[in-house]
Amino acid sequence: MISPIKVWRNQKKYAQQIGKVGTIISWTIINISPEGFIDQSPYPIALIKLSDGTNTLAQIVDWEEKHLRKNQPVIATIRRTQEVAPDEVIAYGIKFKPLD
Amino acid sequence: MNITIAGCGQTKFGELWESSPRSLARQAVFTAIADSGVNKKSIQAIFVSNMLSEMLGMQSHLGALFAEELGISVPAYTIEGACASGGLAVHSAINSLLSQRYDTVLVLGVEKMTDHSSEYISSALMGAGSNEERLAGATFPGLYALLARAHMEKYGTTESQLASVSVKNHFHASLNPLAQFSHPLTLDQVMRSSYVATPLKLLDCSPISDGAAAIILQRSPTPKKNTVEIIASEIATDTLGLANRNSLTELQSTRKAAKNAFTSCGIAPSDIDIAEVHDCFSIAEILAIEDIAFDKKGEVAKKMEQGEYRLDTGQGLVVNSSGGLKGCGHPIGATGVKQIIEIYNQLHGQCKDRQVKNARLGLTHNVGGTGATAVIHILKKHD
Repeated sequence: MISPIKVWRNQKKYAQQIGKVGTIISWTIINISPEGFIDQSPYPIALIKLSDGTNTLAQIVDWEEKHLRKNQPVIATIRRTQEVAPDEVIAYGIKFKPLD
Repeated sequence: MNITIAGCGQTKFGELWESSPRSLARQAVFTAIADSGVNKKSIQAIFVSNMLSEMLGMQSHLGALFAEELGISVPAYTIEGACASGGLAVHSAINSLLSQRYDTVLVLGVEKMTDHSSEYISSALMGAGSNEERLAGATFPGLYALLARAHMEKYGTTESQLASVSVKNHFHASLNPLAQFSHPLTLDQVMRSSYVATPLKLLDCSPISDGAAAIILQRSPTPKKNTVEIIASEIATDTLGLANRNSLTELQSTRKAAKNAFTSCGIAPSDIDIAEVHDCFSIAEILAIEDIAFDKKGEVAKKMEQGEYRLDTGQGLVVNSSGGLKGCGHPIGATGVKQIIEIYNQLHGQCKDRQVKNARLGLTHNVGGTGATAVIHILKKHD
């Protein structure tokens, strides 16, 4: 179970990340996913170098095959992260989408 | 360091549905006691290596549990360092001997994984990653796939070269009666297996396994003839997640631990005859051979494809004669202990069909996560 308190605590951090831009350093498509991500599979994840010089690792959404390449520009957006039970708080987090 | 291995014991690795963690531990430990000739009563402490028991078995407090199960009522500790738990437990046991608190200690590595679905195991294993990686839906095959892609882009490493690691390790495993997989693999079989996380395929990945391994270590001020001594034991750490690494084509923790180990015992990588390295994924073995400095960066994958590091076709160093994590299996907590056992048996000339001729110096390399922890041991036989 995802702790609602943890979700609440992390919201502050995510709010500061929305809209950040960066480029893909390395990527992979996850075909065998962990619990909580099975309905999203297959999905890409990528290591991303942000324009502020820091790195992050995140899922890529709204993608086409042409976007999965080194140096592809991406922008941070907020999305549901994983499946939760009906009585659990919905978990949101940062994912990145391609900037064409 | 004057630390010797008195005896070893290992269960078969694999899908052992009829065995419990308790029965696996008993089998490995009582085999080690018999092998050593040490009286059970002379064991002064137990170091238990395990990663997943709390999540998979709802069981913590493993030190006391196995002290009870084995009927050895002595101080007992649980050591966890993800997939490096085994190496870390051996390192901790050695430190306890070097401190002169104990003279004889038992290290037990045990893991029971195959009672659960692969999705649940994937989630449990991500406990070794960062929160950011878990939120992204990353898996360990996925994280090593990011390293593999970076290596392919920088050095031109190919999927076929990666596949040749699995072919080699299955060949070695086919000669090891305790290995999870007794069948060799062809390059074509590996290349035609489905992608788990591109560019890594199913047969690039080590399996989910059950198993236990145990060794008895002693402080021996004057090691006797024909004993195997651990002459170096080093650990290094790096960032928990991949995002903040300076390089994706090397594991700094491996480089540091290996460099410190070679310096501490005054030998060079070229002196090593045989190595058990952490091949959780095919790319991990390539990185290990490079980062330990057995060979130059960017040259190992080509040599692997040409048949180097193999028992039958290699010209020098033999890597993962046990079958490695890929062929022998990877019961997390037991792996680092099993690596020591393989080198111990090789140095004693007890490996029959997979014996490396004239092996005198061996090295083990155990990694936690994507290199957040690395442990190196160097073993030597006293002639």
